[in-house]
Amino acid sequence: MIVKTLLNTLLMAAVAIAIPGVINRLRARLAGRKGVSFFQHLRDARLLAAKGAVYSHTTTLLFRVAPAVYLAAAITATLLIPVADLEPIISFEGDIICFAYTLALARAALILAAMDTGSSFEGMGASREALYGALIEPALMIGFATLAMFCGYTTFADIFAVKQSFDLHLTLVMLLAAYLFLRITFVEAGRVPVEDPRTHLELTMIHEVMCLDYGGIDMLMIRIGGWLKTAAFSMIAANAIATVSCFKWWFAAPVAILLTGVSVGIVESTQARNKLSRNTTFMVTISALAALIFFIGYLLQLDINI
Amino acid sequence: MYLHLLLAFALLAAIIFALPVRWKAWAATAATTAAAVAAAATAARCLATGETLQLARMQGPLFGPESLTVDPLSALFLLIIAISSVSASLYSCGYMKHYYGKKSSVQFSLHYLSLVALVVSMMMVVTSSGGFSFLFGWEMMTIASFLLILFDAQRPEVLRAALTYLIMMHVGFVFLVAGFAGIDAVCGTADFDALPYCYASRHTLSLFVIFLIGFGMKAGIFPMHVWLPEAHPAAPSHVSALMSGVMIKTGVYGIIRVAGEITEVGQLHTAGIILLAVGVVTGLWGAVQAAAQNDAKRLLAYSSMENVGIIFIALGVAALGAGADDPVVASIALCGALLHTLNHSLFKSLLYFGAGNLYSQMHTTLLDHFGGAAKRMPVTAALFLLATAAICALPPLNGFAGEFLIYLGMMDSVSNGVNVLYAVGGITALALIGGIVLLAFAKLFGVIFLGSPRHEGMNSVREVEGLRLGAMAIPAAGIIMAGLLPQYAVRVVSAAAAEFSPAAVYLVEADVAPTLTRVSLTAALLIILAALLYTVKVRAQRRRNVTQGPTWGCGFTAPDARMQYTGESFAEGLESLASTFNSDIVEGRVVDKGEIFPPAVRNYNVRHKDRVGRLFSAWWIEMLRMINQRIMRLRTGKINNYIFFALMFLVLVFVLSLFNIL
Repeated sequence: MIVKTLLNTLLMAAVAIAIPGVINRLRARLAGRKGVSFFQHLRDARLLAAKGAVYSHTTTLLFRVAPAVYLAAAITATLLIPVADLEPIISFEGDIICFAYTLALARAALILAAMDTGSSFEGMGASREALYGALIEPALMIGFATLAMFCGYTTFADIFAVKQSFDLHLTLVMLLAAYLFLRITFVEAGRVPVEDPRTHLELTMIHEVMCLDYGGIDMLMIRIGGWLKTAAFSMIAANAIATVSCFKWWFAAPVAILLTGVSVGIVESTQARNKLSRNTTFMVTISALAALIFFIGYLLQLDINI
Repeated sequence: MYLHLLLAFALLAAIIFALPVRWKAWAATAATTAAAVAAAATAARCLATGETLQLARMQGPLFGPESLTVDPLSALFLLIIAISSVSASLYSCGYMKHYYGKKSSVQFSLHYLSLVALVVSMMMVVTSSGGFSFLFGWEMMTIASFLLILFDAQRPEVLRAALTYLIMMHVGFVFLVAGFAGIDAVCGTADFDALPYCYASRHTLSLFVIFLIGFGMKAGIFPMHVWLPEAHPAAPSHVSALMSGVMIKTGVYGIIRVAGEITEVGQLHTAGIILLAVGVVTGLWGAVQAAAQNDAKRLLAYSSMENVGIIFIALGVAALGAGADDPVVASIALCGALLHTLNHSLFKSLLYFGAGNLYSQMHTTLLDHFGGAAKRMPVTAALFLLATAAICALPPLNGFAGEFLIYLGMMDSVSNGVNVLYAVGGITALALIGGIVLLAFAKLFGVIFLGSPRHEGMNSVREVEGLRLGAMAIPAAGIIMAGLLPQYAVRVVSAAAAEFSPAAVYLVEADVAPTLTRVSLTAALLIILAALLYTVKVRAQRRRNVTQGPTWGCGFTAPDARMQYTGESFAEGLESLASTFNSDIVEGRVVDKGEIFPPAVRNYNVRHKDRVGRLFSAWWIEMLRMINQRIMRLRTGKINNYIFFALMFLVLVFVLSLFNIL
């Protein structure tokens, strides 16, 4: 029991560390570059940890506390996610709701911190993050509701442990849900086509531009929080796949790494970032997609022969 | 009973009018505190034992015998009224100081008398068994709040807002009278207790809709919310807090009373759909409009509308659950609705108090006149941030506990396979509302308290006195306690919910409270983690070079406070999506894309008006006025014409009775 929980936590940490590595390596290979090492982002992290900080005169205490709140919220949200058949540290009825709102706390902390600097660029990022967060929230909740409807539970651990024997309907819905959560991962992780983390132009940034005034340990906390968030969403998608194929941790964890790592790597190597005005359409499309998946699930559950 | 009430008021009026200006506030505070303590004691006794207490019996002049009774639902609302009225009247002692010398002594006396009358009438409304005493309390509440709004009446918009409010409340009042008369016609008494018999006989849904309109006018449901964004900014802040935090909840109370008595399954289902639909539309409209506002108090008024929408969504889900014979969904959703009602009264009071602190310093609540207020008013800023986080339903505060229960009710409905489509509709709406509210309140807090000052007036802003901050600490303590220990807060509301959903107390003990204990443990973990990470960071930074500098301007070396994001620009993205709901009033001109070097000074001002507001200044008002003018031609002033009209009326009655129409 304790071993399972401990392994679960360690695996989540491993997934969080591995995903950026996979993305970097894959992107380099696809571009024909030799690329940085798999653990380059950890070396960068060590560099950040050793740095001091410059705080703006405009800022208040809120600016200094926000990264800690952001990381704490991201850690708490990650602790709710099971790795297939293992047990997360925290699990209770309705933890899917808790997950969504803990991440909302993380978002709110960064938005307010960005407003605290009084910079026009960071205000821009905050405004965009708030809008995109509002538009992606329904997709996430409809996705969870679809899972709750099909599995009859409101707990991550119970939802994904639902399968007894092969069921075509469940397989269909779970795969569609996995696709939905992967799309949401792209938005929450701030990746192409929503935004380009490698961009050099502040005017087109969203997430990155909110952290312009952070450096050193603060920046490190925000980076780690971002990795954890990505890992959590990726693991939800991987669990949905594992439920209908092989419900074991040694299957789900690599799937979580590869699913996000490979898809982000390929998309970022082949596609361009959306024009910013098209991003709202992109988000609303994801919500519409979520509603569509819900209706498919609803119809399949009614056992209508289509 | 009525005579005693009038005598008590006459005595209080005499005391308040006789006292010097500085003491009037304290007299009113003493009176409301006494009433609140008595009410809270009764409420606590009722909630603890679960029994119904009868306070007074009286013979109403219209509908027969009535009583003032406290059952658990009344007790919960009494508790809400007690907490908010004490903090509001205490706050007013400090807040009204900046009106000394500007207003006459009579105006102060009238204001404080109305304040006490508002509190007492609200208590009467939630304890009345229905009929005349209910309508009496309701009308007294309307008039008292009308006088309270009118305090600043030399501002033309205040007068306009107060009149809009008075007229709309009386339209609602007509519906309530019709509703009670309808009960009386069927059952011979107009008590709420008679409703089940009334519903059993006929016309359940028409009666329900009549009451929904009557109570909805007060609660501010779409499209009857038009008075909210006018009246709340016009009233002094403690009045806005009381009206927004508590008074509009009496509408919610009425709806719960009326909807809770429906027992027939099919009718419960229909009522649930109506409530859910009303809640979704009200909530989304309120949230979108709140995000568009550039005045702090207008934003807060629309946010009240959005919260009423959330409460109605929960009530709708509860009614649907009861209609589908699912006590788990019904109990959890009803508990969620009641807990959210309690929570909203706490954080909305605190937010209006915060807005009052800002107004008394700057004499405006326009967002773009502020900036960087957190440095000048740190305590106000901290309390405002607490309320902001609570209203955005962020863990670990009380707003999250309430919305968690509402979500849980809907998710249970989905996972149990009952009313799946409606529940998912509610989930979608609530998720969207939650996201937009986060945007609206990030804008409110960010533009006012963070960044650099946008206006030279900010230089003279100082923190307000301790009395007001002390009054603000009351709701703040409630927010923190109900947030950290939701498992106890839910036990308070479960007794009230049990009145309509008998399984609630057992379910809460067995199922919901343990879940909420886990939620509070998760919240504790979150707080500990954040504190730990912050401490680690601070300790690590001691050994590093930490300096201060200007905000990074991305290479631009002459940044200016005017370059900051304003409230308008912050919500621009959402407004462009929701532009169909607003009609914009634009002054000045936007910088054109072709202008590379725009002139240095240019004014651009935009206000967003609710499209629904036009309903009340539109063609049909003009038409009514035309018809009225035509009818006025009959008023000739000649006695022979009037005798002729009377004769014609008699002939008409005679003719109609001949054909058996009358």
